[in-house]
Amino acid sequence: MKSELTNLKELGVPEEELFTIVEHSDVEAEKITAPRYSYWQSVFRVFFKKKINIVMLGLLLLIIVFAYVYPTLIEYNRYANITDSSTKHLMPAAAIQKFGFSLSWILGAGGSGEPTFDTVWVGSQISISLALMCALINLTIGILLGAVWGFSKKMDAFMMEVYNTIANIPYVLLISVLVLTLTASFWTMVFALTVTGWLGVAYFIRTQVIIIRDREYNLASRCLGTSIGRIAIRNILPFMTSVIVTMAATEIPSYISYEVFLSYIGIGLKEMSLGRLIFEAEPAMVTSGWQFEFWSPVVVASIIAVVLYVVGQNLGDASDPRTHM
Amino acid sequence: MAKYILKRLLRGLLSIVIVVGIVMVLIYSLLSRTKIFAEDEVYRKLQNNARTTYTYRKWQDYGYLDYVNYNDWLNQLLKDGKIDSDTRNEAGSLGRKEEDDDEVVAKYAKEFTEYYEGKGFQVERLKAITSRRKVAAGGQPELFAHKDRPLSSRLISYFSRIVTIDTIHYVDKDTDIGARGLTFTTHDPVYGREKFSPAIIGNGTKHKYLLYFDDKFPYLHQNLITVNLGTSYSVNKDHDVLETMLQTQGSYVTREMMFPSGHEEESADDLHTATYLAGSLEGSEMLQTRFVDDYTNTLTTKGGRSKIAFSFTCGILASLMAYALGLPLGVFMARHKDGLVDKLGTFYIVFIMAVPSLAYIFLFKAIGGSMGLPTTFDVNNGTALMYVLPIVSLALPSVANLMKWLRRYMIDQMNSDYVKFARSGGLSENEIFAKHILKNAAIPIVHGIPGTILGALTGAIITERVYTVPGTGNLLTQAINFYDNGVIVGVTMFYGLLSVVSIILGDVLMSVVDPRISFTNESR
Repeated sequence: MKSELTNLKELGVPEEELFTIVEHSDVEAEKITAPRYSYWQSVFRVFFKKKINIVMLGLLLLIIVFAYVYPTLIEYNRYANITDSSTKHLMPAAAIQKFGFSLSWILGAGGSGEPTFDTVWVGSQISISLALMCALINLTIGILLGAVWGFSKKMDAFMMEVYNTIANIPYVLLISVLVLTLTASFWTMVFALTVTGWLGVAYFIRTQVIIIRDREYNLASRCLGTSIGRIAIRNILPFMTSVIVTMAATEIPSYISYEVFLSYIGIGLKEMSLGRLIFEAEPAMVTSGWQFEFWSPVVVASIIAVVLYVVGQNLGDASDPRTHM
Repeated sequence: MAKYILKRLLRGLLSIVIVVGIVMVLIYSLLSRTKIFAEDEVYRKLQNNARTTYTYRKWQDYGYLDYVNYNDWLNQLLKDGKIDSDTRNEAGSLGRKEEDDDEVVAKYAKEFTEYYEGKGFQVERLKAITSRRKVAAGGQPELFAHKDRPLSSRLISYFSRIVTIDTIHYVDKDTDIGARGLTFTTHDPVYGREKFSPAIIGNGTKHKYLLYFDDKFPYLHQNLITVNLGTSYSVNKDHDVLETMLQTQGSYVTREMMFPSGHEEESADDLHTATYLAGSLEGSEMLQTRFVDDYTNTLTTKGGRSKIAFSFTCGILASLMAYALGLPLGVFMARHKDGLVDKLGTFYIVFIMAVPSLAYIFLFKAIGGSMGLPTTFDVNNGTALMYVLPIVSLALPSVANLMKWLRRYMIDQMNSDYVKFARSGGLSENEIFAKHILKNAAIPIVHGIPGTILGALTGAIITERVYTVPGTGNLLTQAINFYDNGVIVGVTMFYGLLSVVSIILGDVLMSVVDPRISFTNESR
C-alpha cells in the first residue's frame, strides 16, 4: 500500500487531485443532491428542440402582429370605395395596377371595393379574440368545477345527470335562441358559447381526476394526513398540466371553427368576423375572378387554427414531465 | 341485464322530458313572441283590433297561450243547447264601447268575464276603432280572454299527444257520417276493387285507411297509431315533424286513378293517406266530383325521396366508408409507428382537427367540381354521382377520428403485460396485433357504432347546406329561422331519443363484444 502512494507522488500529480479525507458532518448528511431541475425550463428546452415549433411560433407571432397591430396602423374603411364600381371584385394584379403596390391590395379587392387583405385581418382579430375569450372562460370554469366534480362522489352522481341532460340540447338551438334574444354582439356570442361549453371541459377534467385520484401515491399521501386541497394542488395539478395545455390547444381552434360554422348558418356575429366574411363571400367561390374574396378568409382561418393547434399540442407534449428525460 | 336496460331507458326518457322542458322555456319564454309575425303576410294586411285578435289566435296556435273569443264562447253555448240562436245573435253584437252594450249583451259579456276571470284568464275588451264615425277596417269591438300556458301544462299536453291511436270517435259526435265502424275488405277500392289487396277502412276515424298494402317499402302500411312530435306552422304547415322528414319530395308523380266517386283522372294524390277534414266536401265543387265523404285531405306522391332517406343514405354510406378506411389505416399506423404512413396519417388528423370543417368541405367541393362531379343535389333527376361529394365530405372527419382513436388505443395496449407475454411465448407480430391488440382496442370503437348508424338519421348541417342536399340536417336551423316552435320541439325530441337509444345500444353492444364488461352487479 505504502509503496503505491509513493509511486503516485513520483508521477507529479498535484496534491489537490488526490483524495482527501472529508470529516463527517451531520448537516451535510441531511442534504439530498440531484441534478438541477426546473420544470418550466425543461418544458421550453424540450419544446424548442423541435425545429417545427420555432417555425410555428414565428408564424403565431406573425399572425398576432397582423391581427392586432396591423389594423391599428391602417385606416380601414370597408365602404371607402363603395361608389366607385371599377374597384369592386378585383384580382390582385388588377387591384395593384389600380391602387399602386401596397400590402393591402395583394389579395385583390372585395365586393365593396375594400382591400381583401385588410378585411381578413380585421376579421381575424375578432375571431381570435372570441376564441381566446371563450377558451379562457370555459377552461377556468371547467377546470375548477371539474376538479371538484372528480373529487366529490355526491356531486358526481348529480353532475352526471346534468351533463347527460344538457348534452342532449341541440347546441345550435341554444346558441341561436341566446343570439336571437340578446343581440348578436361579441359578448352575447361569448356568453352563448360558454353558457354550456364549460360542461364538456369539466367532464373531461372529472374523468382525468378520477383516474389519478385513487393512484397509490395519492392514497399514501392521504394516509399521511395531507389535506384534500394540498393533494389537489401539489399531487394532481402538476400531473394535469400537460392534459390542460393539450386541451387548450384543441379548444382555441375549435372556437374559431364554431364561429365560422355559426356565421355560415346565419346566426353568428354581426361584426365582420372571419366566419361572417366566409358566409358573405360564398357566392364568390364559383364566380371566376372573385375567388380571392372567398378563399382568403378560408385559408387564413385554417392557418390560424392549424398554427394554434400545433403549437398547443407540442407545448402540451413538452409540458409532460415524462418527455423531459 | 333487461332490468338494467329498462332502468337506463327510463332515466334517459326522464332526461328527454327535462330537455324538452328546457327547450320549451328557451323558445317560449326567452324569445320575443312578436317575432313569429316577422314573415307573416296576413298580419301585415290586418289592422286595428282584427290584428290584435289575430296575434292572440296565432299565439294560441303556436302554443304560447289559451285564447277564447267571446263569439266562440257563445257558439259553444249554442252548441251545448244552453242558448238558442236568436239569443246568440243578439248577445253577439257588442257595442262600440262597453257602455253602449244593450241588456242581453251586457249580461252575457259579464257572464263571460266572470267565468274566465274565475279560471285565471285575463279578459280584455277592445273598443271599436272608428274613423269618420264609421267602424274602421278591422276595428270591430272585441271581447276575449287569454291565459299564458304554464310550462307544466305545456309539457303534459305535449307528451300526452305524442302517440295517438285512431278511434271511430274521432269525428265530432254530432256530425252525421253514417254508420261508424271499421270495415275489412279484401279488394282495396283505391285499386278499383279489381285486384286482391286487403285493407281496413274506417268511418269516424281520422284516417280513412287504417291498414293497407301498396307498392312502396315496407308494402304494409298502417295509420292506426300515429306519432306526433310537433306540428309545424311555417316550415311545412300543418304537418308533423316526423311526416315532414318522411314525406317524398320533388315534383309530382301522377298516375291514372279512380277517386271514390268513380271519377277517373291522372293525379298525384295518394288516396291511402286521406284524412278527415270537417265540412270540406260541402265547400268545394272540385272535391265533390271526386270524393263522396269528408275524407278529402290527401297527401301527394312526389318523385324524390324523403328528407330522412337522403340524409340516411349519405350518412350511412359515409360511415361505412369511414370504417372501411379508418380502421385499417389506424391499425397500420399503430403497427408501423413513426413510419411514413403514420406521419402522413398524423398530418391528416391534425389537418382535419384544426381546420374549420367549412373550409375543407369547400375545398373538396372545389376539387370535386373541377373533376366534373356534380356539386349540387337534384331531387328529381338524381344520379348516383351526386352522392359522391357529400358522402366523401361527411366521411373525411370520421376517418380522421377513427384513425386517431384506434391508433391511440392500440399503442396504449402495445405496452401492456399480456402483449409482452404473448411475444415471449413466441407469437408473431401479426398474430399479436390481429388476435390480441385489435380485439382489445376495438372495444371503445364498438361503443360508437350504434351512435354512428342512428346519427346518420339526423343529417349534417354544413354538408347538406353546401351541397344543397334536401335532408333532415337543415330542419332545425330552418325551424329556428322561421320561429316554428312545433318543429323545434319535435326535432329536439327526435335528436334526444336517438342519442339516448344510441348510448344504451352502444353499452349493450360493448358488453356483448367484451364479456368482461357487465352492467349487472351479480357477477361481481
